[in-house]
Amino acid sequence: MNTSDSEEDSYNERSALVQCESPTIPSYNQDHDVSLPQQTDTKRRRPVSSGLDEPGPVERERASTPDGEEEELTLKYGAKHVIMLFIPVTLCMVVVVATIKSVSFYTEKSSQRLIYTPFEEDPNSVGQRLLNSFLNTIVMISVIVFMTIILVVLYKYRCYKVIHGWLILSSLMLLFWFSFMYLGEVFKTYNVAMDYPTLVMIIWNFGVVGMICIHWKGPLRLQQAYLIVISALMALIFIKYLPEWSAWVILGAISIYDLIAVLCPKGPLRMLVETAQERNEPIFPALIYSSAMVWMVGMADSSNPGSADGRLRNEGGARAQEEEESEDDVAHGGRRRYSAEEDLEEDRGVKLGLGDFIFYSVLVGKAAATGGDWNTTLACFVAILIGLCLTLLLLAIFKKALPALPISITFGLVFYFSTDNLVRPFMDSLASHQYYI
Amino acid sequence: MNLERIPNEEKLSLCRRYYLGGFAFLPFLWLVNVLWFFREAFLKPTYTEQPQIKSYVKKSAVGLTVWVAVLTTWITIFQHFRAQWGEVGDYLSFTIPLGTA
Repeated sequence: MNTSDSEEDSYNERSALVQCESPTIPSYNQDHDVSLPQQTDTKRRRPVSSGLDEPGPVERERASTPDGEEEELTLKYGAKHVIMLFIPVTLCMVVVVATIKSVSFYTEKSSQRLIYTPFEEDPNSVGQRLLNSFLNTIVMISVIVFMTIILVVLYKYRCYKVIHGWLILSSLMLLFWFSFMYLGEVFKTYNVAMDYPTLVMIIWNFGVVGMICIHWKGPLRLQQAYLIVISALMALIFIKYLPEWSAWVILGAISIYDLIAVLCPKGPLRMLVETAQERNEPIFPALIYSSAMVWMVGMADSSNPGSADGRLRNEGGARAQEEEESEDDVAHGGRRRYSAEEDLEEDRGVKLGLGDFIFYSVLVGKAAATGGDWNTTLACFVAILIGLCLTLLLLAIFKKALPALPISITFGLVFYFSTDNLVRPFMDSLASHQYYI
Repeated sequence: MNLERIPNEEKLSLCRRYYLGGFAFLPFLWLVNVLWFFREAFLKPTYTEQPQIKSYVKKSAVGLTVWVAVLTTWITIFQHFRAQWGEVGDYLSFTIPLGTA
């Protein structure tokens, strides 16, 4: 594929964009914080947020439940949502691994490289190779940092049009160009004849319905499916075009950057989250996977209309800016309609940024592509899920935006290298000696 | 988005937009329309907008069937006669299978 710089720019900007969204699971936390003031239903058990101090029924409920029960409820609440995130992450990884194992295109080394990894890895000299991979990483990370800062600046100065235009461009590219490439490779692999008219119909339908579902309104399941598919496509591109060692170093470096950007007070991602929270806006929902519907009803007495406006949303997907305004309208309508009732069934969504999906899949995909056998792949897969579990646990405890990459990627890297170098030879020699344990 | 949570007028408007959008060579959109609004149109107790939603769903289903028929016919013809068409067949092909005539 002859890629032009501008295409690479777009999708790498997108990955930067996505990645910067990825570390945070802010809205999960937001939902936590946010739902509490509206809670009027004593039957609903909710973890308590220490950050919020809104008066109202919540306080009374909080006082009535014993602490032990609250703690237990916190964790119980988390388990369901862990599962709700496991499924899409697993699906994404399955798609990537299945493609890697069957379509050889994505494992063929091409002479083309992304402009973000300009240094060639020379297979002959270890030192040189290592050095070049570090240099590549530095280039890539600085690009990502730069993009993130631009994003935060744009967001701060309310240049929403620019951001939305950027997002739309990059989803367009993902949905049309990359899926076109992907289909082409799949057809070549399975030796199927395909004609242009049918192909155009398929790509056109896939792309347009994808744009509608992600950026406008569509069924939740379809939107989730599209987000998984585009994350998988992006991950495949990374797997193909990042040089071997650079990919691993980049994974490590991104996790560290993630940690810094989300947790440090001046980190760009943290500023993004805080600005969004101040403005009571969801954070770029087009780049965040959310797993369920959220319906939060305004308080019965509408004593804090400001928070209720922001809270009441038809969750579950991409929100364009105009959507937020319409949500506010719905919010007003919703308040009037439901003000007399207890709050409705709330299935609070869990949100994970798409960048997380992408980098998890890159790790597992690379393990499948370059690792020896299925042991390595499965080990990385399990490691990532364990990491995700722990991250969600920490989220339930700390109740603030947390980076989702570091723990999972660390576990994944550790498991990859140890399985590849320790467990695999061990299993091989056990098998060759027919010694079963 | 959850259809349960939006008012009926918006459901109607959404259904209508999906229906109209499908005319832009988008049978997939019609399929989504049918599947998504099926329950609303047929399995829910009646409400004011329901007959219109029903009609849109039915029309989308009809359009979808037509497109499926057209595409199936075309694909069958193409796959069967591609080799015999020679140059035209190659021109129309995006991927050409290796190792066959």
